[in-house]
Amino acid sequence: MNARHALPPLALLAALLLGWEAAAAAGWLTPIRFPPPSRLATSFRELALEGFPFGAFLSTHVVATLRRVLAGYLIAVALAVPLGLLIGASPLLDRMASPVVAFGRSIATLSLLPLALVWFGTEEAPKVFLIGFGCFWVMLSNVIAAIKLVDPVLLRAARSMDTPPRDIFLRVMLPAALPRIAAGARMALGMGFVVIVGAEMIGTSIGLGALIMEARTFYRSDITMVGMACIGAIGFALTALLGLLEARLMPWRRGRQT
Amino acid sequence: MAPPLRARLAASPALAGALGVALLLLAWEVAARLLWRDPATLPAPSEAVLVALRLLTPGEIAMHVLISLGRILAGFTLAAVAGITLGVLCGRVAAVERLLRPFVEAFRPVPPLAWIPIAIVWFGLGEASKVFVIFLGAFFPIWTSAWRGAALVPQVLLDSARSMEVRGPALLFRVVLPASLPDIAVGLRVALGLSFGVLVAAELIAAERGMGRLVMQARELGQMGVAIFAIFLIGIISLLADQQLSAIIRRSVGRWRPV
Repeated sequence: MNARHALPPLALLAALLLGWEAAAAAGWLTPIRFPPPSRLATSFRELALEGFPFGAFLSTHVVATLRRVLAGYLIAVALAVPLGLLIGASPLLDRMASPVVAFGRSIATLSLLPLALVWFGTEEAPKVFLIGFGCFWVMLSNVIAAIKLVDPVLLRAARSMDTPPRDIFLRVMLPAALPRIAAGARMALGMGFVVIVGAEMIGTSIGLGALIMEARTFYRSDITMVGMACIGAIGFALTALLGLLEARLMPWRRGRQT
Repeated sequence: MAPPLRARLAASPALAGALGVALLLLAWEVAARLLWRDPATLPAPSEAVLVALRLLTPGEIAMHVLISLGRILAGFTLAAVAGITLGVLCGRVAAVERLLRPFVEAFRPVPPLAWIPIAIVWFGLGEASKVFVIFLGAFFPIWTSAWRGAALVPQVLLDSARSMEVRGPALLFRVVLPASLPDIAVGLRVALGLSFGVLVAAELIAAERGMGRLVMQARELGQMGVAIFAIFLIGIISLLADQQLSAIIRRSVGRWRPV
């Protein structure tokens, strides 16, 4: 995007922010509903330096949330990839599993909240469980699809050259399925960020999801908005990071769309 | 003699699927009744259904389901209208795309559930806040897919339409929209699935009725069976809604392009 094209959105942004600030100063917007941008900047400083609730700094919330998301996500990936490879490679297993997988994906992860609390208490475990559950089904269905959609020509070619089954799996199927598996990994991470906010809404005051809920009960919607922006920024950064990792791991796909 | 089981399973995906589901339910039933033996933490599926049917009347269940479906329908429909309109505009009009895209991209990574507290501040605890959160959850996938679909309409179609003097609304409704429909359809299905996930979270926080509330209420009363029943109810209804939507899509889009 060159400078001339960047101008209209920047102008619109500036106009919106100025209008918002002016409307708040004139009393047309109630600060509790629409805290003005200048207020949000102060709140961000307050959150970073003094913390909200007092002593719980922005960094504390971010680390807690990241740790939960990554723990649940990694467990889900570690379980879903081998299981998905197994199911995808066996037509019989795939047929038997397909309604289960479709249903697993349809379960609203956060509806499991009460079960998670009864099974795992109120500490970290239920949050990690919910994130893991949400990521697991996204990952599993993508891994299965990735294996099933490997071009049969590749497999036939490998077989016609008497490639042993182990090599077919490791050197043909797996590399051919990798781009789709990577796309699934990105979708699963997105799911982790959808679930985390709900998972942190109950039984904790640390974490970005807890922060934005807590702030509301204290009528601090400015803090809520800052928290939302932080979750968005982290989700964005992690997705970008996965994209880079993908380009590193699969140089042959560089520049192509998945 | 009947053919061997393996051959029959290979011939019928439905039979194999039913067997898979049955095996899983059986394993759960056996584990819960013989190994775990504590219905307060893990009831068997049969227990869960029986308890739920004893404690809830069919009328109550239907009421919760209908309230939730009403919220989904409202939020999803609004998201479809707004998402397709803005998406197609962004896909076809370069100026609109340059103006709006940075804003939409900035809001997209914010998870829909993170809007719940602000939705409550803006719209109160009533229906509007839930519909708003569902709208946000469904809007982004629809917007993205409509934008991609509209941007990738083959130039040949546009050129030949123009050469036949098709322009304005006719070009939009008879060429651009139908050509982007397969992409939009994908976005609609993703969005519907997300709507259900968001709905439950919104109802967990603040609702007096609805399927999400049913789960939460069961937890407060310590009725694990009812909670499990409600979780399955939400899953099945979400699955049925998805199948319904994909059937509609197949009927309308499948005519000229397989989906």
